[in-house]
Amino acid sequence: MSSKAVIEIRNLTKIYRDFWGRPKVRAVNSLSMDVLEGEVFGLLGPNGSGKTTTIKMLLGLLFPTEGEIRILGKPATDVSKNEEIGYLPEESYLYRFLNAEETLDFYGRLFNMPADERRRRTDSLIKMVGLDKARRRQLKEYSKGMTRRIGLAQALINNPKLVLLDEPTSGLDPIGTREMKDLILKLRDEGKTVVMCSHLLADVQDVCDRIAILYNGELKQLGKVSELLTSQDRTKIVSTSLPDAAIEEIKAVIAKYNGTTEEVSHPTNSLEELFLKTVAESQQRPGQRVVQPR
Amino acid sequence: MNFDPQPIDIAESLKNWGIIFGVLLTLGLSIGFLLSAILNTKDGISRYFVGLGEGMQDTFGMSCRRIGAIVRLTVKESVRRKALLVFVVFAILFMFGGWFLSNVNERDELQLGVYVSFVLKAISWLVLPVALLLSCWSIPEDIRLRSLHTVVTKPVRRSEIVVGRVLGFSVIGSLIVGIMSGLGYIWILRQVPPTVGDKLIARVPVYGKLSFLDRQGLDAKSGVNTGDINEFRSYIEGASKARAIWRFEGLSDDALRTNPENQQPELLIENNFQAFRTHKGEINQVLNYQLTLVNDAKKLRVALPSFPVQEFGENLRWIPRELSYYDEEAQASKQVDLFDLVDEDGKLTMEIACVDAGQFLGMAQPDMFVRLPDRSFASTFFKSALGIWMMMALIIVLGVTASTFVKGPVATLLTFTLVLFGAPAHGFLNDLVSGKVKRGGLIESGIGILTHANPNVDSQAGGTGITKGVDRAMSGFVWGVSHLVPDFSQFRYTEYSARGFDVPMKSAILPGVFLLLGFLLPCFLLAYFSLKLRELEAK
Repeated sequence: MSSKAVIEIRNLTKIYRDFWGRPKVRAVNSLSMDVLEGEVFGLLGPNGSGKTTTIKMLLGLLFPTEGEIRILGKPATDVSKNEEIGYLPEESYLYRFLNAEETLDFYGRLFNMPADERRRRTDSLIKMVGLDKARRRQLKEYSKGMTRRIGLAQALINNPKLVLLDEPTSGLDPIGTREMKDLILKLRDEGKTVVMCSHLLADVQDVCDRIAILYNGELKQLGKVSELLTSQDRTKIVSTSLPDAAIEEIKAVIAKYNGTTEEVSHPTNSLEELFLKTVAESQQRPGQRVVQPR
Repeated sequence: MNFDPQPIDIAESLKNWGIIFGVLLTLGLSIGFLLSAILNTKDGISRYFVGLGEGMQDTFGMSCRRIGAIVRLTVKESVRRKALLVFVVFAILFMFGGWFLSNVNERDELQLGVYVSFVLKAISWLVLPVALLLSCWSIPEDIRLRSLHTVVTKPVRRSEIVVGRVLGFSVIGSLIVGIMSGLGYIWILRQVPPTVGDKLIARVPVYGKLSFLDRQGLDAKSGVNTGDINEFRSYIEGASKARAIWRFEGLSDDALRTNPENQQPELLIENNFQAFRTHKGEINQVLNYQLTLVNDAKKLRVALPSFPVQEFGENLRWIPRELSYYDEEAQASKQVDLFDLVDEDGKLTMEIACVDAGQFLGMAQPDMFVRLPDRSFASTFFKSALGIWMMMALIIVLGVTASTFVKGPVATLLTFTLVLFGAPAHGFLNDLVSGKVKRGGLIESGIGILTHANPNVDSQAGGTGITKGVDRAMSGFVWGVSHLVPDFSQFRYTEYSARGFDVPMKSAILPGVFLLLGFLLPCFLLAYFSLKLRELEAK
């Protein structure tokens, strides 16, 4: 991650007005922040906090009431900035009468890509998102997860420098979610900048380098995930399994230094880890199953 | 319907277009400037000029590949949304249409007209609604379903979306019109009775300018009105000095065609005079007319033998190259070459007199014409299909434009209204402006209503300078509005083909082409800025 800003937002305000031009809702209020090159940036907030409005202003789908946005050094209304951007919308708003190949070919043409490159990119992206067997099926026959996958593929058709993902894991099963998160990290490793907004805090925590939390259109938190989540007034020690005597001894040491032992327990795995482990084992040993005790 | 083709005045049309486009552009730019300055208090003026700059870039920096992609998408969308089902309706119509169209009691050429009209109207009525619905619903649906979001977040200019959509629908429409026209043409060839086959031609007329002399032989504005409420034709009295005079222009040797009876090159005249009888006369005898060829400069008057008027048939008259006539001054019969009567610039004057006393012959300008060598029926038929195509293209342009600023149903209604009422509204507004409607001025009419003045006569009081000035200004405004409403009747060439005429370039095809082209640039600008200035995600 470099210190060069890919997205610069200065004093951004968006006011929705009614038919007569009277202010109705102040969706974003004096938002200022930067997204740095090569980072995974998470935009968090409850419903109506202004994160989707912010993304849409970045993309030029909405016009700011006040303030300035520069993306890759260009104004948000400059069409040429889109050459370097990939966007996965919240729902996959694609043309449902096209099949996967046609979809990627269409978006490739919009980037003025030559035929050979389009074919190559289409083929590799379809394989990457795991839709090889469904490449000739119209999107209207796709499940929600499959639609998210092809949506992601279209966002990457131009090998973008900046990827904007709106709820990227929405509609995906745990395996798809894991793959999506791995892909986001892979994109970061390739030097791309990723901006994602999501309600799924665990997903954001897993992949984001920095986050911003919005509430009522205002920026409430901004910083590195590791820094924001670290509790400086607590200490956590993880070790291999210890006998009770050792635990009592450690408690005594903590008390000696005026500390309080709040909890001693065996850590649990996350449900995601359990699920992925179970699926992986099932693939290796298809006949194995759990018999419910009578 | 009056059938009176008028050649287009290209210079005048371009001037009118320039005035209206210039005024609208200036208005649009001024309103845009004011709105930008008012709504964006801090940097409104700079935003305005940046927007204009982007508009220029978007107009001149369009990419053919991106437009091609949107065209392909549009075609696929139309096909997969089953727009081509229109062919099923077309097939059903043509499978059974023949059963209801044949009428053995009808004259051959009229029956032929019924077949041709049926085919061309069927194509129009099938193609135009499809074009209307596709073009009006596409962009609003894209916005509603947000599929447009994935397009505009790519490096696609809004101008490319507009052009791509218009071209895409034009491609699918062209395909439909092309196939239907081809099938319709074959259907006509197979369907018409063999006896009528030789009538499948495209007559190429040269029309003259018509003027009248009254019964005293003096210049008259028109002939006699015999009481017909339709004043299309006016009548000349028989056995009097009343004359109908046609002045033809641009005639040359090329106008001659081979007379099948003597295989000589001759001039063919066709007429369609109407008779009006003040007494029954001889029941089995038709009226006669006399044709005199006149060259005033050479003081030559060549009276040809009188000729019967077939009121319910074809009236063809061959004029040979070598003409015999009686020179009254020289008191001798003489010979003259037909083209000695034609001026250097191809002008030829023909006088028509009604021979029968007490009877009248009615005529309008297109009732007599010189018939140039005929063209094939295919040429007139496919030119009529071209008219349908141009109409479809204009509907697509208007539909796509409307759909950039209103939703699908409203865009459909707006475009449909323009198509349905465009021609009548255009005619009415033109009548208002040209003064055909008496007391047409707003203020003057108002005064007329208050003072209970006769609406059928012009104001006697003359009005004050102010009322006349306001009425003149209103008239200018109405003139402008009349040109903003497309006159779709300019594309209706079916009448030509159904009557066996070629579709003339100057009085039919060019006006249509200019009408279509005239709307392209303003519609493009309107659609582009509507889409550009619109927040696609606005709540």
